[in-house]
Amino acid sequence: MSVWNYVVTAHKPTNVTNSCVGNFTGPQELNLIIAKCTRIEILLLTPLGLQPILDVPIYGRIATLQLFRPHGEAQDFLFIATERYKFCVLQWDAETSELITRAMGDVSDRIGRPTDNGQIGIIDPDCRLIGLHLYDGLFKVIPFDNKGQLKEAFNIRLEELQVLDIQFLYGCSKPTIVVLYQDNKDARHVKTYEVALKDKDFVEGPWAQNNLDNGADLLIPVPPPLCGVLIIGEETIVYCSANAFKAIPIRPSITRAYGRVDADGSRYLLGDHAGLLHLLVITHEKEKVTGLKIELLGETSIASTISYLDNAFVYIGSSYGDSQLVKLNLQPDAKGSYVEVLERYVNLGPIVDFCVVDLERQGQGQVVTCSGAYKDGSLRVVRNGIGINEQASVELQGIKGMWSLRSSTDDPHDTFLVVSFISETRILAMNLEDELEETEIEGFCSQVQTLFCHDAVFNQLVQVTSSSVRLVSSTSRELKNEWFAPAGYSINVATANATQVLLATGGKHLVYLEIGDGVLTQKTHAQLDFEISCLDINPIGENPNYSQLAAVGMWTDISVQIYSLPDLSRITKEHLGGEIIPRSVLLCAFEGISYLLCALGDGHLLNFILNTSTGELTDRKKVSLGTQPITLRTFSSKSTTHVFAASDRPTVIYSSNKKLLYSNVNLKEVSHMCPFNSAAFPDSLAIAKEGELTIGTIDDIQKLHIRSIPLGEHARRICHQEQSRTFAISSVKYNQSSAEDSETHFIRLLDDQSFDLITYYQLDAFEYGCSILSCSFSDDSNVYYCVGTAYVLPEENEPTKGRILVFTVEDGKLQLVAEKETKGAVYSLNAFNGKLLAAINQKIQIYKWTLRDDGTRELQSECGHHGHILALYVQTRGDFIVVGDLMKSISLLIYKHEESSIEERARDYNANWMSAVEILDDDVYLGAENFFNLFSVRKNSEGATDEERGRLEVVGEYHLGEFVNRFRHGSLVMRLPDSDVGQIPTVIFGTVNGVIGVIASLPQEQYVFLEKLQSNLRKVIKGVGGLSHEQWRSFNNEKKTVDAKNFLDGDLIESFLDLSRSKMDEISKQMRVSVEELCKRVEELTRLH
Amino acid sequence: MEGSSSQPSDSNQTASGAFKFLQNLPSRGLLSSTFLSSNPGGMRVYVCVRDTSPPEDQHIQTNQQNILIRSLTLKKQKGESSSKDVKGAGAAEGSRKRVAERVLESRTSAKRAASQSSSRQEGSGSSQASSRDFQGLTVERLRALLKAKGLSLKGKKDELIARLKSSS
Repeated sequence: MSVWNYVVTAHKPTNVTNSCVGNFTGPQELNLIIAKCTRIEILLLTPLGLQPILDVPIYGRIATLQLFRPHGEAQDFLFIATERYKFCVLQWDAETSELITRAMGDVSDRIGRPTDNGQIGIIDPDCRLIGLHLYDGLFKVIPFDNKGQLKEAFNIRLEELQVLDIQFLYGCSKPTIVVLYQDNKDARHVKTYEVALKDKDFVEGPWAQNNLDNGADLLIPVPPPLCGVLIIGEETIVYCSANAFKAIPIRPSITRAYGRVDADGSRYLLGDHAGLLHLLVITHEKEKVTGLKIELLGETSIASTISYLDNAFVYIGSSYGDSQLVKLNLQPDAKGSYVEVLERYVNLGPIVDFCVVDLERQGQGQVVTCSGAYKDGSLRVVRNGIGINEQASVELQGIKGMWSLRSSTDDPHDTFLVVSFISETRILAMNLEDELEETEIEGFCSQVQTLFCHDAVFNQLVQVTSSSVRLVSSTSRELKNEWFAPAGYSINVATANATQVLLATGGKHLVYLEIGDGVLTQKTHAQLDFEISCLDINPIGENPNYSQLAAVGMWTDISVQIYSLPDLSRITKEHLGGEIIPRSVLLCAFEGISYLLCALGDGHLLNFILNTSTGELTDRKKVSLGTQPITLRTFSSKSTTHVFAASDRPTVIYSSNKKLLYSNVNLKEVSHMCPFNSAAFPDSLAIAKEGELTIGTIDDIQKLHIRSIPLGEHARRICHQEQSRTFAISSVKYNQSSAEDSETHFIRLLDDQSFDLITYYQLDAFEYGCSILSCSFSDDSNVYYCVGTAYVLPEENEPTKGRILVFTVEDGKLQLVAEKETKGAVYSLNAFNGKLLAAINQKIQIYKWTLRDDGTRELQSECGHHGHILALYVQTRGDFIVVGDLMKSISLLIYKHEESSIEERARDYNANWMSAVEILDDDVYLGAENFFNLFSVRKNSEGATDEERGRLEVVGEYHLGEFVNRFRHGSLVMRLPDSDVGQIPTVIFGTVNGVIGVIASLPQEQYVFLEKLQSNLRKVIKGVGGLSHEQWRSFNNEKKTVDAKNFLDGDLIESFLDLSRSKMDEISKQMRVSVEELCKRVEELTRLH
Repeated sequence: MEGSSSQPSDSNQTASGAFKFLQNLPSRGLLSSTFLSSNPGGMRVYVCVRDTSPPEDQHIQTNQQNILIRSLTLKKQKGESSSKDVKGAGAAEGSRKRVAERVLESRTSAKRAASQSSSRQEGSGSSQASSRDFQGLTVERLRALLKAKGLSLKGKKDELIARLKSSS
């Protein structure tokens, strides 16, 4: 790999951190707005359900999200504050469906200690000010003037340093905040302050309440007429106002989220750490609060945010499991739950660990993640591309074409499958036992190759061979009419639809026939300039049986032409450029837009937008799908039309948001495809590949496919073993039933196909599984699972004891074959020159696998290296060891065989708190750190002095905005050895927000080109809310902020494809590169993930 | 999980309760269809090409003035307004604080500061608001006030104040 890296998101963040409901897109429209860390999703509530409107990327990590209504406005504004101290106020522009920035600003202070308990952003219910708590001891106020405009912000000193929550109180003549805080004796209290805007200071508020529940950490302001505040503790819930105090005890729980049900604030939904949903009711007589009631409703995912939508529907946003849409029923179900889960929205976060495997052995990587936490823990199998679920297959060599036919025009299902070979045509049909067997259609000529077949009107079938066009009755199966090619000419290519046939014969002739009841009529004939290579008359107009346009691909001048039917007059001619002839053309329509697709002999595909009335071709784009000639066919799945491009890299072309997308099909090489929607195999495709005919259904048409394997416990490490075809995971089960919360740690063995639990090994009390590895040792042919553990004792700050366990898999059991005690936690295990390399607290240790006299094996310590705070992450390459330290960035060690010792070679002297490391190549190492940054360092072996050689030079820096837990080499897509993209090495990463991303090392030339494109795109694509892309991607931690270097933002670059043509032209002018070329190069990059 | 086994019994006890409280959940007729269709996968991704900078005056910055200095200047402004207005209510301010303000303020003349500190000493016995107000004024000012009321302008400052008070 190289120092020039391209970072792109393959799976967007799915961890839902905030949500709110309000009238954002219109005064009468109710919206749900969801924050997923660096993205916002806007949905509309309709009687039919949640309708997605917009997915908005934000150049920042969203800290708070609030809807509010300034005076005199008809709809709500959205207030967003980011973790890097930027805020913006957004308004929806209904005319253009875009977001307008009403205000934005920087609310950072030069001095100040960032809060430990998270940033707080609140808005006064009467819209007099926005309050922010970002630094300990400071409360920032952004006042509104009476026109709803924001004014200069100022800080107020807040005496309470350990603030847990702040809210505005309703119904106060002066804006009043209530502060929940902890004093230096760890007791918790609430206090109120009035904000005096004129004096820019606090005035002691109307009431205070001391000595609350020790676990109180959530405030819920109660709207009028009741007013006051609810204080949610771990054992009690308290209602507090100037003149009332009510408390009720609750079952011990930590409340994570709340959602207000009624506008008058008498009912609330509370979600706790175990995923239980409670209803809290404030009982009152008129405006006097008489008490509190709490009822358990049922179980959901562990909620991080709860939004009551409407009509008893509730949105549960989760960080630890899938987010859900639930309904509250009046009557409990059999299990006593009032909660009915109607929909789950996939969330991969937090991805704690993952591995890249090729389970189907197709040369395509799949990612298996340890996702979720606590009871919502699961494994997720993430796969790129579209899978074919094989239902039947037969061995058939040399297929040259396939078409499906119906037995009558009105039959909804296909009956016949016509398979053409070089010198014969066979017809397969479904028999009564739903088996595919060979049959005959008497009227068809089966001794020659078929060029084309189609259903025709009046219960007829059309077969085109090199000598004639045959019209056959589909009921009697007899030949009704035949059109012969003129003597001396043979038909080369042909196409047809239900009423028309177009064919080309040698001698540059184009012949157009129309199909009647039992008759074939030659309507027109034309002689063209060159020989014809391909044809299409797929109807895309209003009449599904008749096309007014014909697309023709030409030899010699390498062009594609549009002819009008029936008169065969040329409307358009488009030169394709290059020397590769078009091999397949297709007219198709997606989402109301007509396209002409033209596939070339070298695996490239051109697409044009086709104006069906003028025949004009515009917006030419070129992509590379494979390296072999492509055959294009339409098919439908879930009543939407898609295009299948059969080649060495089969691809499905579909449209989403009026943009053409390409998704790989997980098959190696497909020569022909045709839809085969039979009664026994509905919605299926017949696929010819590698001497085989397969019938199968197709997955949902989308890019990434995710399969969930719920575990009910928290998986923390995962590892795959090829030989035993198993996964080993280290997991934690939390038992919340007993009075004391306890946890048990397991090593579990799962089958790699079914993901069924095969066996497990329970670790000791207090023993945590920290690392897991499948490896083999020198002088031993067996493959082992090695597990590193730590004894985490409550009285110790750092573990001082751990174990390395070595297992074999025998007859579906985990056999412990060796065990070695260590003096600390085994944070990492690596296979290293036939030995085992372990990171144990501050030490790196090598173990030999030795044979004892009695024939058993043991791990024997060989050598070690001290010098780290905590060696958490280790990667190796040859004799080199790269260590990611808790707080001392990356260091490079080398193992010396002769001396059998480990020495430090170089280190990065920056104080980075590491979260993952990976080796990109011999000299360049990649790191991710605590403040959501990526950086790369390079070994300086040519340095003049020891001092220079001992320093790892920082070569790349980038703010990812995501907390990376793991890097792994590998790819989510099938690699073609001879395509450009196939040569680019990639690393995959997984993050806390559920992002799966790809880091690709580019050749320098490409990097420079894309860097230029990125800087041009920055000028065209603006940050929502006025946030700057350059600032967002700048490396930023406690100590420094520097511009990003040697990393490119692939998400920004790939959004080039979403731009309008005029904006593309603008960029193309700046770059002095054609739009077609830009599109092609960016499309290529999208195929990396 | 053992926890789940204990749940049903719990909710059975509260079954009637939850039923009672789940009545009349707010509804505006949304999400009312029996067959809900939602497809959050196919959401349009926003690529913003319009200008996103806020209106000119809505680019918000934080007042960079130190909080302590700001509060002192704010109080000083108050103090000044009250000292100009003879009958002002600046009296509410503690005299000690005022000294601190004056000391900080560079414009304050030594003379004023001196009069201030002396007044604090002398005025310490009297807690009357008006008296303290008069103490803050210079002899010239007191004389001007006496002249306005048609009283004698002779005597020490204390005598002048006593005369003014008895007249008011």
